[in-house]
Order: sequence, then C-alpha cells, then structure tokens
Amino acid sequence: MTQWVLEGLRAGIRTTRYPFAPETAAGVSPGLPAAGELARPDLERLIARCPTAALASADGRLVVDARRCVHCFRCVRGSDTPAPWQGGYEWATGEGTLGKTFTRSLHIRVVDAGDCGACLHEVKQLAGPYYSLHRLGFFISPTPRQADVLLVVGPGTDQMREALTKAYKAMPTPRTVIAVGTCALSGGVFGSNFACGGGISSILPVDVEVPGNPPPPLAILHALLLATGRAAPAAKERQTAGERMP
Amino acid sequence: MIAMAWTGAFFALCALGMLLAPFVPQRRNPLLVAIAGALASACLCVAGAYALLSGRTVDTTLGLSPLGSTIRFSLDPLSGVFVLITGIVFLATSVFSAGYLQRYLDHYSLKVFTVLYFGLLAAIAAVLLASDVLSFLVAWELMSIGCYLLVNFEHRRDENIRAGYLMLAMGEAGTLAAAVALLLLANAAGSLGFEAIRMNGTRLADGLRWTVFVLSVAGFGVKAGLVPVNSWLPRAHPAAPANVSALLSGVILNLGIYGIVRVNLDLVPPRLAGPGIVLLLVGAISAFLGILYAVTANDMKTLLAHSSIENMGIATTALGAGVVFATTGHQALAAIALVAAFYQLANHSVYKALLFFGAGTVDAYAGTRDLDHLGGLIHRMPWTALFFLIGSLSIAAIYPFSGFSSEWLTLQALLRSAELSSNLVKTAFAFAGVALALTAALAVTCFVKAFAMGFLGMPRSPAAEEAREAPRSMLAPMGALAALCVLLGILPTFVIPALGGALKSVGGASAAHTLVPPFFSHGRPSALPAKFIADFHDLGAQVGQDIVPGRGLVVLHRGGADNPVVFAMATSYGFVVLILLLGGTAFVVRRLTAARRVMREEQWDGGVHQLLPEMTYTATGFSNPVRVIFDAILRPRTVEDTQETVAQHFRVAIVRTREHPHLVDRLVLDVLTAWMAGAAGLLARMHHGKLNAYVAYVLGTLVLFLGIAALR
Repeated sequence: MTQWVLEGLRAGIRTTRYPFAPETAAGVSPGLPAAGELARPDLERLIARCPTAALASADGRLVVDARRCVHCFRCVRGSDTPAPWQGGYEWATGEGTLGKTFTRSLHIRVVDAGDCGACLHEVKQLAGPYYSLHRLGFFISPTPRQADVLLVVGPGTDQMREALTKAYKAMPTPRTVIAVGTCALSGGVFGSNFACGGGISSILPVDVEVPGNPPPPLAILHALLLATGRAAPAAKERQTAGERMP
Repeated sequence: MIAMAWTGAFFALCALGMLLAPFVPQRRNPLLVAIAGALASACLCVAGAYALLSGRTVDTTLGLSPLGSTIRFSLDPLSGVFVLITGIVFLATSVFSAGYLQRYLDHYSLKVFTVLYFGLLAAIAAVLLASDVLSFLVAWELMSIGCYLLVNFEHRRDENIRAGYLMLAMGEAGTLAAAVALLLLANAAGSLGFEAIRMNGTRLADGLRWTVFVLSVAGFGVKAGLVPVNSWLPRAHPAAPANVSALLSGVILNLGIYGIVRVNLDLVPPRLAGPGIVLLLVGAISAFLGILYAVTANDMKTLLAHSSIENMGIATTALGAGVVFATTGHQALAAIALVAAFYQLANHSVYKALLFFGAGTVDAYAGTRDLDHLGGLIHRMPWTALFFLIGSLSIAAIYPFSGFSSEWLTLQALLRSAELSSNLVKTAFAFAGVALALTAALAVTCFVKAFAMGFLGMPRSPAAEEAREAPRSMLAPMGALAALCVLLGILPTFVIPALGGALKSVGGASAAHTLVPPFFSHGRPSALPAKFIADFHDLGAQVGQDIVPGRGLVVLHRGGADNPVVFAMATSYGFVVLILLLGGTAFVVRRLTAARRVMREEQWDGGVHQLLPEMTYTATGFSNPVRVIFDAILRPRTVEDTQETVAQHFRVAIVRTREHPHLVDRLVLDVLTAWMAGAAGLLARMHHGKLNAYVAYVLGTLVLFLGIAALR
C-alpha cells in the first residue's frame, strides 16, 4: 500500500495536457493523408491504389476525404511517389449544438452499432488515466435516459438500427450524436451493403463526425470538446505539413 | 338475551341452509350459500358486536347431555371479539362464494359443499359459544372434520388427498391434547362447566398449570399454525378452494388462539411467567419462520399460508408478552399487549380473507397461481389488483393500512419490557422484538413480490395474457374487506376501546383508558390526570386544547415519574395530514410543471427488438437474495438431476428441480413419520396371516379381560 502510494508519487502526473497544451508524445495519432500537388500520372496511380475512394483529384490536385480513409497506408507504402501525410488529431468536424450548460458535465452514452472493436477500444482509452475524460467534465452514462451525447461507433448495421433509434428517442433534449470512426461516417471498407446502410447518418442526424479508423482517443476528446463548443472544428482542407510517414 | 336471540337466528339460518341444499338445483346452490350465509353471518356480527360493546355475559342452558352434564352456551366479551371477526369473514366469504363456486359446477357436487359449508359455520360458532367442556369438544371436533372435508373438496386430485390426511391427522392429535388439557381441568374442578372450572382456576397447583398449558398450546396450536405443529397449513391452503382458504385463515386459525386464550387466560388465570415466555418465543419463531418461507414461496396460496403462520406468530408473541406482564403485576402493560394480540387477529382475519379472495380470483380468471407465470394482471383485472394491493399493504404493515396499528402496538408492548426486573425475561423479550422486526421487514419483501410479480410487468404465460376481470359479486366482498382494512388502520382509537372491553373476561382491566385518553376531546381537559398533562407539557405539547375534534391518538402507557416518555400514535390525524400533504404536493408539482412541453416516447428497454416475458424479473429471482442469506435455515435441496442426452455423449439439457423442505418438516414431521413407520413395522409382525395365531390372539384377549373382571 505504502509502496503503491510512493510509486504513484514518484511517477507524477502522466495525464495528457490536451486541450490546454498540444500533445507531443510519439504515437498518439496514426495521421491522415493530406491534400497536395502531384504529377498527373502519380495522382491517378494513387487514387487507383485507395480501396475506399478516400483520394480524389480536383483541378489536378490531390484531395482527401478523411471520412473514408481507413489508414491502410497503400498510398504511402509501396508507392514510388507517396501521398503527403499529416499528423495531428484535431479531426472532428461538425457543429457544437450544446451550450455552455454542459461545460462541466456532459454525459455520454456509447452505442456499439456493429463496431469491430477498434473504435470501442479507443473510446475505452478515454476513461483511462492517460486521457482521463472525467477531468474535462465528461462522463460515460449507462443509460440514454440520462445522456446528452450519443456516441456511436460502427457502420450502423441493420440489426442495430432499431436499438440505435430507440436509444436516440430515449434521450432528453438537447441531444447530440457523435459518429466515431470511418465506418460510422461512410461505412468504411463495408460501404453500403446487405447488412448496413453506409454510416450512421442514414439512421440518425449526426452532429459531429470524427474520422479515423480508429480515431485516436485525442480525436474523440476533440469531438466532445467541439460538441460543447470548447474547441474549433478541423480545417476544411488539410495543408501539406511536409511530414512523412516514417 | 338479545345477543342469544341473534345467535339463535344464526343457527336457524345455518340449519335452513343445510336442509334446503339438497332440494335446490345444483346451479342455484351458490346463490343459497350467498343469501342464507350472508343473512346468518349478519346475525352473528350483530350478536358479536352486542356482546363486545355491552360488555355483558349472556348464558343459556340448552339441556342435559347424555353424560348428565348441562350443555351451556355463553357469549362473553371475549367470545364477542371472535364472534364479530368470524361474522365479518363469514359474511364476505358467503357473498364471494356465489361467484367463486361456479368453477366447480361441472366437476363437483355443490349440494355437498353447501351442506358442509353451513355445517362448518355452525360448528365454528358453537366452538366460540360453548361454555362446557363436552359441548366445546364436540363442536371442536365437528369444526375439525368439517374443515377437513371442505379443504379436501377437490378430492379428485392426489396431492389434495395427501394434504387432507396430514391436516386431519394433525388436527386430531391436537384435539386429543386439548381434550386431555380440558378434562384435567374438569377433573380438578369436579364439573364439566366452564364456570366451575373458572372458580377452581385460581387454586390449581403449578404442576397442573404447566401440564394444562403445554397440552393446550400444543393442541390448539395445531389449529393456530404455530411452530412446530404447523406442517399441515402450507399444504392445506393450496388444496382448498379459495373461499374455504379464507375461512381457514380468517377464522379457524383464530379458533386456535381462542382456545389458548380461553384456557390459559380465562379458565386458569395466569400466575406463572414461564408460560408467557414460552408463548413469546414460540410466537416469535413462528413469525420469523412463517415469513421466511412465505418469501421463498411462488404459489400465491402457499405464500399466503406461510404468511398466516407469521401473523399468528405475531399475535402469539403479543399474547405471551401479555401473560408475562400480567403475572409480574404490570396490568396496564398486559392490557396493551393483549389488545395488540386481539387487534392483530382482527386485522389478520380481514386482510388474509381479502388476499385469499384475490388469490382465488386470480386462480379462477387467470388460470394459475404460480407467480412465475403471472404478471401484468393489473391491466386486465384492475379492481382485483387494487384490492389485492390494499391487502398487501395492510399485511406488510404499511401506514395507514390496518397491519401497521397492531404491529406497532405489539412492538411497543415488547419495548416496554424495560420495566420488567428479570434479565432473563428481558432477553427473551429482546429476542422476540428482534425477530418481529426482522419479520416486519421480510413481510414487506414478501408482499412486494406477491403484488409486483402477480399484477405488474408483463404476462409471463398465455393464461395470464387472457385473464379477465371477476364479476361484481366477487369484487364487492373484496372491496368491502379492503375498505375495512383502511378503516381498521386509520381508526385504532375506536377499535382499541372496543377490543379493550374483551379484556374484562380475561381478568384484565380495560385498556381503553390507558391507550386512548380523551386527548383532544372538546372542552374536557379535566378528564385527564394532572400528572399526565404535566408530562406532556415537559415534552412541549399542549393537552386538552380544542385543536382537533374527536379521538385521534393512541397513547401507550405513560411510564413512571423518571420515565415520562410517551409513545403515541396518531393514525387518524396522520391520515388527514397524509392526504393533505400528498394532495398539496401533487397540486404544487402540477402547477409548477404545467408550462413544460412534454415529449412522449417509448420507454427505454435497453434497445431490444421486443421485450419478451422470459427476459423480465421473475418471482424466483426476486426472492433469491433472501434465499441466499438464509441458506442455513432454508437448506434448499436438489431433488432431481436428470440429464437429457441425444446420443451417448451429447448432453442436451440438465433438468434440476430444487425444493425447500420446511425446517419443521425436516426436524419434526419427518422424524415423527420415521418413528411411526418403524412402530408400524413392529406391529405389522403380528399380521402374518396365520389363522391359528389369530385365534390365539382372540383367546388371549378374552383371558385378559376375564382376569381383569375377576380381579375387580
């Protein structure tokens, strides 16, 4: 017991400083491909290599739809001219509709709508000591009756459609839906098929979207801050930062 | 004499019912039961109320018995209490029977039922009125047998026959013990009349007192369902028709207590504290074991049967406390405890009859009594549900319903044991108090289970889904009893003085003035002792002011000078305040939330596609925590463990059936059965089928008797 306390004191506070200071630790984010200028043949080769049609060309430039990217790295690895890559984690887009009232107390109901486990795992990390969402006034709720945010992971399978609708209807207003992960945004590698409709937006009105497959915990934290109006949404188009995937 | 005229009318109507029954067509018999039964019991109610309120004893000599003794009936205030309670239950049961008996129309002879029913009614009344040993025993035996025949009315079911035999055997053993007790008293007094026995009662030796006490408690205790002679009760109730169950619990159990009170408090005025302690402990253990098995039971009627044992236990505890107080010279406290016991009996009769009617209605109109297969009945049987709820709240002793008043008085009486001197006795009181407190808590669990699992939630079987409401003729008696539950709960200040009158015949002072002083009476402050008013001033209360009209307060014995603490209960005023508070709160909340926009969506059910009955909470699941906690007492045992296999190695299912053999069955009944079987085995050696040996037996017997005759 004493040892445990001493160990804790010696270790000090390891919790991330985000959102008060940028997180700089290695490996907190896998990054996303970024928009950039490329030669036309390279561009077409890269677009052809993308399995989820996240890459496209517009006026001869490479544009990235982050809502589709699954971090497969096919556009970076094994390609002679790799796509520009960008780190960071403030990826959430959308509009924070919840007002100041929820600044210190926001209750989140997490629903697994056909998730593979990856996004759910990242959500679970939030409650750990490193990301510690409670310090920011976020709490996981066991029931939608007391939740302000419905945090949905997974592509929204037909089997979960009814449960999701029920959970949303059971929530008191004002309520916000956060779709987490590429599958929840666009269907990801599954797309629209016999078992799912290609994203949560086909079932519920989504307010905040978090790209990433899975998104790092900090991106989810950013989405929660965005939902309460405590952070700005990600920029519309990412600039080439000159970073390269190692 | 007026009271006797009314009882005469009762017996005449019962006889009329018995005579008419064979000549009335089968389907008209329920109507006969209802009309003749209701009229007869109304007469009985009037007689009982008259005897209780007038406080006079009426005697009638009916003639000479074949043994040469006089047959005497008398109606004193003690009989009056029981007669009144009995009359009320009879009245409700007779009316209820009209609808309930329809279900037997095609299967059993209702003519037989009617004859037996009126016979039982008359026998019960005769037990309460009998004033000599012979007529008492004859009436008791008639009652016992009539009760057995009616409980066993559905005689084409095997389990009913077994239950009936056990009931008959235990009942007869009890009668035998009680008969010996009464005959010992009669022998000592030299007369069979109760009057002579009573005159002689104060002169009895201690040894005889103990013998009579043990025999009478064991004998009458069988009918009262006290531990350890209660094994028949939980078996008889599920077998009996619901209206007979109501009589069994509402009236016949009371007769057991009546027998104990009549013999040990009236015929033999108590002098030893020991019997009181024994009653106290037997009552406490009965109460605790009763409610423990009630919580774990899933059959509605078994549950109610175990709960009857509990209620009789509470009454017996109060009775024991009364005896101890009376023998140690605390007359006022004794009066409180005895009033609590009578109050408990009255309450129990009313709410248990109501609950058995409810269970019978559910059985008849929802097709099952198993709580695991019921549910959701409140939507299909709203009135039955309401009345059952009132009964459940009463029996769980929730204010302002009836059980509260009597349990409160009982517990307060036990707390007053602080004024006793012996530490051993105090310990016994403390044990009883703790057991009763635990019992009260378990009773709430038990009746939350009975009501919630039966009437709330989703129907767990097709039968429960197709339930329908009972006809008005069955709802009306339930409604009347429910109303009585509320009245008995909020008007203890009128009930207690009435019950206090009954104490005159058991030698105690009337408790009315001790318990219900004219506290807020209009302009009569002088009616209270000055000392009493002073005590209250110390507590910060104003006495005798014209604040509220009428009697509304029960005050328990006010203790000595150094202990001026007064225990008081103001259920009548409390009821008014409760209504005002609830109504006021509802009004305020309504006004405050009137402007709010309301969204109505489906209830959150965890997002399942469809909530199936199998997913909901079951009665077994609800009571499981209690089962786990009291595992050491309940000792559940797996009786069957069969494996269903497809091929040699593939197991499909393991079927396991668990049962909770009753503690008393394990410790007493099973042991006795084993002994008896052993003894019967020894005797069976005589029955070897050799004719010459049988002739020798006859010869031997003849020689024996001739020898006895020659020696005299």
